[in-house]
Order: sequence, then structure tokens, then C-alpha cells
Amino acid sequence: MKPRFGILSAAAVFLLFATDMHYAAFAVEPSEVLANPVLEARARAISSELRCLVCQNESIDESNASLAHDLRVLVRKRLLAGDSNEQVKEYIVARYGNYVLLKPPFIEETYVLWFGPLILLLGATAAIILFYRRRTGQSSEPTPLTDEERRSLSLLLSKSDEKEEAR
Amino acid sequence: MIVETGLFALILALFISAIQAVVPLIGASRNEPAWMNVDRPAAAVLFALVTLSFGALMWAHVTSDFSVLNVVQNSHTDKPLLYKITGVWGSHEGSMMLWTFILTLYGMAVAVFGGNLPPGLRARVLSVQAMIAFGFILFILLTSNPFTRVYPPPLNGEGLNPLLQDPGLAFHPPFLYLGYVGFSMAFSFAIAALIEGRVDAAWARWVRPWTLVAWCALTLGVAMGSWWSYYTLGWGGYWAWDPVENASLMPWLAGTALLHSAIVAEKRDTLKAWTIFLAIITFSLSLLGTFLVRSGVLTSVHSFAVDPQRGVFILLLLLLFTGASLFLFALRAPALKSGGLFAPISRESGLLFNNLLLSIAAATVLLGTLYPLFVDALGLGKISVGPPYFDSVFVPLMAPMILVMAIGPFLSWRRGNLKDALARLKLAFVVTVVTIAATLMIAGTSSRTLWASLGFGLAAWLFFGSLIEWTGRIGLFRRSLTEAVHRARHLPRSAYGMTIAHMGLAIVLAGITGSLAWKTEMLQVMRPGDSVMVSGYQLTFTGVDNDVKGPNYTASRATFVASKDGQFVAKMQPERRVYANPPQDKSTVAIHTNFVDDLYAVFGEPDGKGGFVTHFFLNPLVPWIFFGAVVMVFGGIVSLSDRRHRVGAPIRKARASPHDSSAEMAHLKTTAVKRMENKILLRGWVYLVPLLAFIVMAGFFIHRLQLVSEGDAPNFIPSAMINKPAPAFNLPPLLVDRPGLKTADLKGKVTLVDFFASWCVPCRQEHPVLRLVTQAGIRLVGINYKDKPADAKAWLAELGDPYQAVAVDAHGQTGINFGVYGVPESYLVDKNGVIRFKQTGPLTPEVLREKLIPMVEKLKQ
Repeated sequence: MKPRFGILSAAAVFLLFATDMHYAAFAVEPSEVLANPVLEARARAISSELRCLVCQNESIDESNASLAHDLRVLVRKRLLAGDSNEQVKEYIVARYGNYVLLKPPFIEETYVLWFGPLILLLGATAAIILFYRRRTGQSSEPTPLTDEERRSLSLLLSKSDEKEEAR
Repeated sequence: MIVETGLFALILALFISAIQAVVPLIGASRNEPAWMNVDRPAAAVLFALVTLSFGALMWAHVTSDFSVLNVVQNSHTDKPLLYKITGVWGSHEGSMMLWTFILTLYGMAVAVFGGNLPPGLRARVLSVQAMIAFGFILFILLTSNPFTRVYPPPLNGEGLNPLLQDPGLAFHPPFLYLGYVGFSMAFSFAIAALIEGRVDAAWARWVRPWTLVAWCALTLGVAMGSWWSYYTLGWGGYWAWDPVENASLMPWLAGTALLHSAIVAEKRDTLKAWTIFLAIITFSLSLLGTFLVRSGVLTSVHSFAVDPQRGVFILLLLLLFTGASLFLFALRAPALKSGGLFAPISRESGLLFNNLLLSIAAATVLLGTLYPLFVDALGLGKISVGPPYFDSVFVPLMAPMILVMAIGPFLSWRRGNLKDALARLKLAFVVTVVTIAATLMIAGTSSRTLWASLGFGLAAWLFFGSLIEWTGRIGLFRRSLTEAVHRARHLPRSAYGMTIAHMGLAIVLAGITGSLAWKTEMLQVMRPGDSVMVSGYQLTFTGVDNDVKGPNYTASRATFVASKDGQFVAKMQPERRVYANPPQDKSTVAIHTNFVDDLYAVFGEPDGKGGFVTHFFLNPLVPWIFFGAVVMVFGGIVSLSDRRHRVGAPIRKARASPHDSSAEMAHLKTTAVKRMENKILLRGWVYLVPLLAFIVMAGFFIHRLQLVSEGDAPNFIPSAMINKPAPAFNLPPLLVDRPGLKTADLKGKVTLVDFFASWCVPCRQEHPVLRLVTQAGIRLVGINYKDKPADAKAWLAELGDPYQAVAVDAHGQTGINFGVYGVPESYLVDKNGVIRFKQTGPLTPEVLREKLIPMVEKLKQ
């Protein structure tokens, strides 16, 4: 494990792109892989939904950090012990909090997140229906020009006629 | 000298942009042709100066001028010339220079092609462009000067991150910026239109080609970034929903919506306020992306040059541009009269539906990306929003859009006939059903293949729907072949553009579906001579060459022979490279593609026993994703080549010009403004919503920036173990003559449990404070976390042993049970064995004094 609290030092600040990512290909090590392919597939699925705590936005499945390795091993241990996928996640959440879940749980704090798109969709649909209604209402009765506008319009038209003739 | 010239040119450019921002704008409002006409020469001079400045920076990089800090930090003499050039935008400073260069390039384009634009409109557009340029040049000069010298100059530079020394990434930023910055054109036109208070078809016809240029560039830029990530990072994936990726996706989604609503604005003279809004939002999302990526308010796997100080400046720019334009929008948009009416079933409505879903998709990505920040700022704890969230909300939004994408083009303007359109899509429907059925039959009916079959069905629907629309247009099968060919030749290129781009998306969709459903992965240790089967391919490891020398790296290169059914398919040679400057490793992937499947090989570390870790993927249909993206861009280019899209094609009729200098005109204008004001009072509040939402968002950003600049790491997380009993453990002692530690030992007295390790640098910093803990009368025990016992003993011998007991957590299992995610961490446990407080990171005298001791006093009572 790398010392975490030096990360904000000036040296790191100047790196441009993913310096942590180039080992990602070997996040999962061959020694970790379970013999049972069904369990292994479940382990992969679970670990891709758990956030690596020491990394910058990676799942433990993608990270080469030492803690990610420990957690991957732990996930597999729990699976071998007969836990369901949910139980494994609960086990980790009990220790690290909801922060580790890359798919946020459906709790009060995330209602806006989960319902947001739906609310936007409904709101926008309502707005569009209103838009159609208003427009059909408009079309039946165009607002008549005011006297002032009529005067300006005739002035404009005569002016542009003059121009046309001038050409 | 050249470097100083560059800096000087940039300073001059700042002044020119100020002039270009102010003079033409005043000219346009006062109707002074002489003032307005400053715009084009100013844009040309600005472009020339920024080019000179950018060129000077490039010169410094190419000649490896190590008296320039930016070159020192990002270059090295042994770097190949290509990467010396592209390394210019490999740093924050250089990339902002590229940004500004492209911005002035677009301004120059308006100056060159804008001869037939109404002078007032052009003056205002170029003025807005110059305001943006002013902001960014000032930003560079004040916070990110790339021309800073160092004295004495070092003998050589630090080199460029090897990951950036790659053709895919070298050319990815220019395209991305051409896209981001290209949307500034639509933005400037939108602001100009709002100032003028009018939007007409000619306006939209000007905006369309520029938006299309930006869209093509951004599509290519995003695809390139994704491709780079796919072939260099060795993870077998291409999209991770990371904030930095989302930052490029949001303007793409909004820009795609803009592209389509501009069609309605041009052809039907309606949806004008909406088009203006999208133009503002698209560019604002580009700016927002720049802010998110560089300010450090979010954690991203792509660690850019993060700096809260710069973040403040970009936020100011964002507030200024987006805030002011949304304010102007709220003020002026209600008065924009819309023209053509249309029925709920019509081409317009189809495009409106597309806009609806695209904008909601963009909003959803924004919501998901920023949500952790909102929740944190409101004190509701820390949460993560990752790929599973985006996958689960994005699919339901995109699926209906793709369904309608095939139908929309069949509907006619104003009022369409849905029945007729669906009847003509009968064949596409049949193909869709066949595709779904065939997928299920071949691949079986697991839930995964069910989803895959639906994905392929949608792709087939869109692909064949678009194809049928084209054949219908040219009358193929209905008319004689010669006539069909004749019609095909005379079909406008923009129509071809649409068909091609839509088909491109269908290909992308099929590619994504396939890669998600049937990716196979093999991970193992192999010795030379070993073979492994990867989904029908046999891969034989023939050997390793440890002496591969590149221009600035050495590498170990593995050779694998891929064969299928005993037939040789390919030789694959992935590498593990070690770069000298900077000293970093990089794994180079070998990919063999047959344009349907990608066989993907990664070569890993030796296991020390003669074997090597190897990782193979079979990525089905991934090539289609990138091919489809290129097809989309090609569609955009074809559309761009349409004569009607050629820049400057329309000329506003003189009689419609609002810049007539007559008194009547001024009078008409005032009446228009009056009517406008009345309308604003009536229903203008709706138009204020975006501004208010933006202000709220900006508030969160300011709060977050404050925290970040105070040193709060965004990935610092509170403990879930507070007020829970300490976990069960029973650990052996580190030192033979001392006791170990088990849960029961914690009871009876308030105890501080300190996790430490000899390899942990901050632990050394913490160590003296531990004495103060014991001096304060707090029982202190240590847990040596994932350490070598010998190292730990030496460490204690050197620094002293303040602990009452030191236990060994060799594999970190107890650490995980406590919720340790990085040492040092310490937990305060009360008399009953309940955890009451956690210090993440080294204990400091302040924490001890202000938090720990008062808490211990309280717990003792």
C-alpha cells in the first residue's frame, strides 16, 4: 500500500493522466481466482460494484491497490462461506459505509439521484404538453397588431419599397 | 528570446481581445459601422498573436529549452519528436494554450467566412468570442503561465508521462478541444441573438454548420479517448463513467440535441428559445467539464493537474459566462416569437422528443457526476455514484430515443402520419424481430442474452430503418433503377449525412451490446510453452525477449501465437515497458482484430518462479464501436459538405435587417422591447429556472472548492464504525515478552487503538504524538498493519515504543474489520468496548488537544 497522505504533494499535482491505471490490467491476480467459475463470476460482479477506498474512483476489481486486493480476497472468502451477493456487500458496507457502493443504495439521501431522471422526464413531458396546448390556442387567434405597430409597419414597408426602387 | 516573444504576444493578445470584446459591441448597439468593423481585423490580429504565442511554446518544447519550467516538467531530450510536439498540450498550461488557440481559430473563421453576415450580428458574435478569449488568456497569464523561466536551467527535463506518449492520446486533446471550443460559436451566436432580441432562419443556418463542425470533432475526440483507454490501459474496457469521461459526454449529448433543434429552428422557424438555451448549455457544459477536471472538486482516475486556485478562476469564468448568459436568456428569451406550428405527430415533434431524451440524459449524467458532492456538502455523508448507476439509468433513456430515431425521418414537417411511417418500417420491424430471435436462438436465453438480443434488435431497427428511409427517398424498388440512381445522386448531402450518422450510431450500439454480453477473460500464470484457450482461440506462449529497446524505454516483450482449429491466426506481442524519464512502467497491449472480435493480450509481471502473469480478453464487436463512431463523424462531414451548409450561404434580406439606421426602426425596437417586458412579467419566470439552478450548483462548487483548498481530500471518508462495538479479534504479539491483543482487552478503560506500519511514511510523522497520548493518560495500544515483523521491531527500537501492547495484523483482516483504509488510523474505544472516534491519517497535537482529550474526559465520566 502506498502512503495515502503524501498523495496531495506537489509532485503528484503535476501528473496529467491516469498514473494509477496502468496496472489495472492486473488488478485481479491469478492467485485470487476461485476454482469454481460460478463463484468467481459472482466475485467479479460484486467487486466491480465496490469502490476501492484508496484509489481515485476505481472499483476494487480494477484497482491494483493492496487494500483492493485484500477486499477481493475477502469477497471470495465470504462467497466460499456461503454468503449471498447482498450479504457480501452488506459485510463490507458495515465496515466502510455506503461510500463503497458504486451503485448507491436506495435510501433517503439518494431519492433525488434515483428519481431525478424520472422527475425530469415527467416535468419535461408536462412542459411539452403545455407547449402544444398553448400553441394550438395561439394559432386559433393571432394577436392583432396595435395601431402603433401598424404605423411602424407601414413606415417600414414604404421605406424598404423605396430602397428596392433605388436599386 | 522566442519564449519572451510568446509571452509578450499573449499579453498583447489580452489587450486585443479586450478591444474586440468592447468596441464592436458598442458599435453594434450604436449602429456605428466604423466601430463594428473593428471586429474582423481584431479577430485576425488576435488569432495571429495567439498563434505566435502557441508557436513559441511549441518551439521551446521542440528545441528542449530547459530554461522554461513547462518544458522541464513535461519534456526530455530523449523523447521522440512527435511527443515533443504533442507534449505541448500534455500539461495543464499547454492545454489551456491549445484551448485558446482553437478559440481564436474559430474567431478567425467567423472573420474570414462572415463577410456576408449582417454586420451587427457578426460584430456581436465576435465580441462574445473575444470575451471568452479574454477570460482564458487572463486565466493563463495569471495562473498558468507556460513561459515561466527557471534559473539555473537543469541539464534535462523530467519527461512526459509515458501514457501520454501514445499517438491516440497525442491527438485526442486537439479534437476534443475543437469540439468543446467549437460549441463556443453556437454560444456566441446565441448571445448575439439574445442581445439583438431576434432569431431567424438565417441565424440557425449559420449556427448549424459550426455546431456540426464542433460535433464531428467532439465525437472523434471522445471516440479517440475511449479507444486510447481501450488499447493502452490494458483493462479491456473502453468507458468507465469516470467524471472526466462524463465531462466530455455531457457536452456531446447537449451538442447532439442542439444539432437537431437547430434544424427545426432553421427549417420551421420554431423552437428558437430552446435552441438558444441548448447553445448556452452545451458550451457551459464544456466549461463545466474544464472546471470539474482541473479544480479537484471531484475524484477521477484521470488525475489532471488539479489545483484549487485555478479551480477558483475557472469557476469565476463559468459564473461569468454561464451566469450572465442564462440571465440574458431569462430576460430576452420569453420575447422570442416562435413561428411555424406543428402537430404532436410531426418531424418537429420527433426532433423535440430526441431533444427531450438527449437533454435528460445529459442532465442525468450531470446529476450522477455531481451527486456525491451535493450529498457531502449537505452533510448527508459520503456516497459514490459509479458505473452501475449510469448503466441503469442511461439505458431506459436511450432505448426509446433509438426507437423514435428510426421513425422520425419518415414523418413529414408540420403534421406527420405515424401509421404510414410505421407501415413503411414494416421490413425493419421484421428484421428486428428476426435479429432478436436469432440472437436468442444462437446464444441461449439467459437474462444477459435477453438484454443483448434487445440491444441488437434496437441496432437492427435503427440501421435498417435508416436504410429504408433512404431507399424510400430515392424510390428504389418503386421506380425504375435509372430514376432511383438519378434521385440518389441528387439527394441533398445533408440527407445522406443523417442516414450515415444514424447508421453509425446503430453500429456503435451493436458493438456496445456485443462487448457487454460476451466478453471473455482469461487470467493466469504462464510459462514459455504453455497454452491457454480463450473462447475458441488457442494462445501459446512462445517466449520473452527482455532486451527490447525503444527510443526512450526498454521493454520485455512476450510472444504469443494465436491459432484457431489448428490454423495460425496471429502472432501477438504485448510488452511491459520501463521508461527512463520519468521512471514509470507502462504495459503495451497486443490486439488482433478481425473487425468482429478483438483478441486482446496483456503481459504482466513475472511470478519469480519462471512464470508470467498473462491476461487475455476476447472482446466481441468492440471494433464496431470505434468504426461506428467514425461512421457517425463521416456522416457529419458529408452533411457539412452540403452546399446549403456551406458557411455563409444565406444572406439576410436587407429589408429584414434591424440595423437600419432610421428613427422608425429605433421606435419599432422600443415597442418591441416594451412588448417583451410585458411578456416577461407574464410568464417569464419559467425562463429563470435554469439561472436559479445554475446559481444553486455554483454555490455547491464554491463550498466544495473551499473545502478542497483547506486540504480536504475528496476521497476522505468518515468511519462507519462510530458507536459500534469494536470488532472481534485476537492477534498475536509483535514482541515475545509482551502480550498480544484481543477485543476483551479493550474493555474497562478508554483506549486508543493505533494502526501503524513501518513502511508508512506519515506514521513516522505521527510517532512523536503518540508519546503525548500516553502522557495524557490515555491507554495506547498498537496494531502493526501488514508489516514485516522484523521491520516493525526495528522501527520501534529506533523511534521508541509508546504502546502498552503491540499486536500483529499480518494480513490486514482486523484492519478491514475496523474499517481501516490506509495507515495511520486510530480508533478511540470506550470502557464498554464501543468505538467513539476515528482519526484517519496521522494524529497531530491539535487533534489530540482539541478532539481526543475532551472526548476522553467525557467518556470517563
